[in-house]
Amino acid sequence: MNKPILVVGGGPAGLSAAHSLASVGQKVVLVEKEDTLGGAPILCGYSKLVPSGEWAKDAIGSMVDRVVKNKLIKVHTGVSVKEFSGKPGNFKAELSDGKKVAAGSTILCTGFTHFDSINKPEWGFGSFPDVVTTTQVEQMISSGQGVRRPSNGEKPKRVAILLCVGSRDRQIGREWCSKICCSVSAKMGMEIREELPDCHVYIYYMDIRTFGLYEEMYWKSQEEFKVKYIKARIAEVTSDGDKVIVKGEDTLVKRPITIPFDMVVHAIGMDPNVDNMLISSIFGVDLHHWGFLDQQNMYGTAGATSRDGVFVAGAATGPETIDDSIAQGSAAAMSALASMTAKVAAE
Amino acid sequence: MAIHEKSLIRPENLITHDNLVIDGVDVSGDWSTFIRTRVVTDYNEALEDEISALPGGELIHRCWQCGSCTNSCTVNAENPDFNPRYWIYLIRMGMEDELLRDKDIIWQCVSCNKCTTICPRDVVPEGVMKATAHWLELKGHTKPSNSTIFDEVFSDQVIKYGKIEDGEVLKDFLKESGQPLMQDWIVQMVKNMIKGLPVIQLMKMGWATVFHPKTKDWSKARDAINEYVAEEHAAQKKALGLDEYKDAAE
Repeated sequence: MNKPILVVGGGPAGLSAAHSLASVGQKVVLVEKEDTLGGAPILCGYSKLVPSGEWAKDAIGSMVDRVVKNKLIKVHTGVSVKEFSGKPGNFKAELSDGKKVAAGSTILCTGFTHFDSINKPEWGFGSFPDVVTTTQVEQMISSGQGVRRPSNGEKPKRVAILLCVGSRDRQIGREWCSKICCSVSAKMGMEIREELPDCHVYIYYMDIRTFGLYEEMYWKSQEEFKVKYIKARIAEVTSDGDKVIVKGEDTLVKRPITIPFDMVVHAIGMDPNVDNMLISSIFGVDLHHWGFLDQQNMYGTAGATSRDGVFVAGAATGPETIDDSIAQGSAAAMSALASMTAKVAAE
Repeated sequence: MAIHEKSLIRPENLITHDNLVIDGVDVSGDWSTFIRTRVVTDYNEALEDEISALPGGELIHRCWQCGSCTNSCTVNAENPDFNPRYWIYLIRMGMEDELLRDKDIIWQCVSCNKCTTICPRDVVPEGVMKATAHWLELKGHTKPSNSTIFDEVFSDQVIKYGKIEDGEVLKDFLKESGQPLMQDWIVQMVKNMIKGLPVIQLMKMGWATVFHPKTKDWSKARDAINEYVAEEHAAQKKALGLDEYKDAAE
């Protein structure tokens, strides 16, 4: 029971796991490979979070603060785990700075990687400056700069948001739904309309998956902010040198469309962390066939991986919301604690 | 290659030339038929704003195209071309040409309001149909329908006197809608009334015809209503970019 629990990754899930453990008196070693804690919402400069509407730097920032200030949590930033061995109750990890950590169990909160839109060249990202990603628009908003056309800095009059960029697409080996892009896009549509009331926002969708209570954002974006939703999978994005032109089929009127826009936003999906092969081999855990960290027996121990004593939480398991990542962090903390206590007691 | 979706090709989009030579090549006749493109090249955001500025159209932006209105529609059951869901979409995307193709059936809405009851988003499609028919009239795409003329004759009298006089409503309606006063059914109706109604009733009607019934102290209400109507008409005129607001009965 005296050995700390190793939490790998300092995003919402990791911060939640570390805090949960510390709050019951358990020592934690938190390892984050970036220099800053907070994970994607902080590192990628998200603006307002879905669905709370709170600014990422406030909401996640408060989670970072309580972890950093907690004496039971030892935080290592800018380092990663190089080697990992041992058994439940008695793991040994070597960090990239040479430090050695003994741990009773481990929770992997290694997150995801944003889909790189360059892998869908037909949608113009990388070719035309006014084609951007949801992450870039988040940054435009959170930086206070506002939503502007990258090509000339002007306020856009008409913006298209393309859903399922890097999701639900067999052509590029991404068959999963990334879960949050519909809700994030609805929220983004509202943010754009709020900042630029003269700017019309069109969202091109195959299906709208604002599941559960997130449905409220779908309704609100239409009813209060007049964001327009068009059922069309876009075929190609081109440019006339000024406007970006979106081509596709409007399935409701069975007609081809070539509509000029000032900006096109890719609602990019969530890929498995690019380091997942490495993580899989270092920690000896299996990957899901889509490349995320696999969970064993969904109806048994929360967050269990293929290796005893090693647990997983958050977007490392698959596309995940921030709220659910936080919940999974807590759940995996309980699993990790229980596994260690049980093993130690048995020995 | 065979054309798979011939139903999508409209006759007016087929172009053939009886005699045409291009670069010395004879391309006359059917074999060189051209099909005009169906591509939608822009959205006209103004159209939705215009319809939503008219009474009944205010909630059109809520529509998510589920089709409940069309499924429940009384008129659609009779005429499959009567499709509120589709028109709402055309309005929202600003496809005005496409909407105008159906200008002569949009007014056929019978206001049964089954769509209003079933709509999961409270779009009030019946109101949108009314607003759209109204829009078509105000823009001069369609002539004022008889129901519009009747509504205006009726409300004009109410505004003027605070009461209506049935005979005068009928007379004005027939005049404004270009129908003769002497129609068989009217003659028959009057004959029946003379034969069947008590004398005192007939005297009352005669009195009302000569001295139009009025509501006591109506003038203030009338002025207030007229002021409101003028405001509404001015707002609609502005929203629709009209030079003048044409009242059907004027």
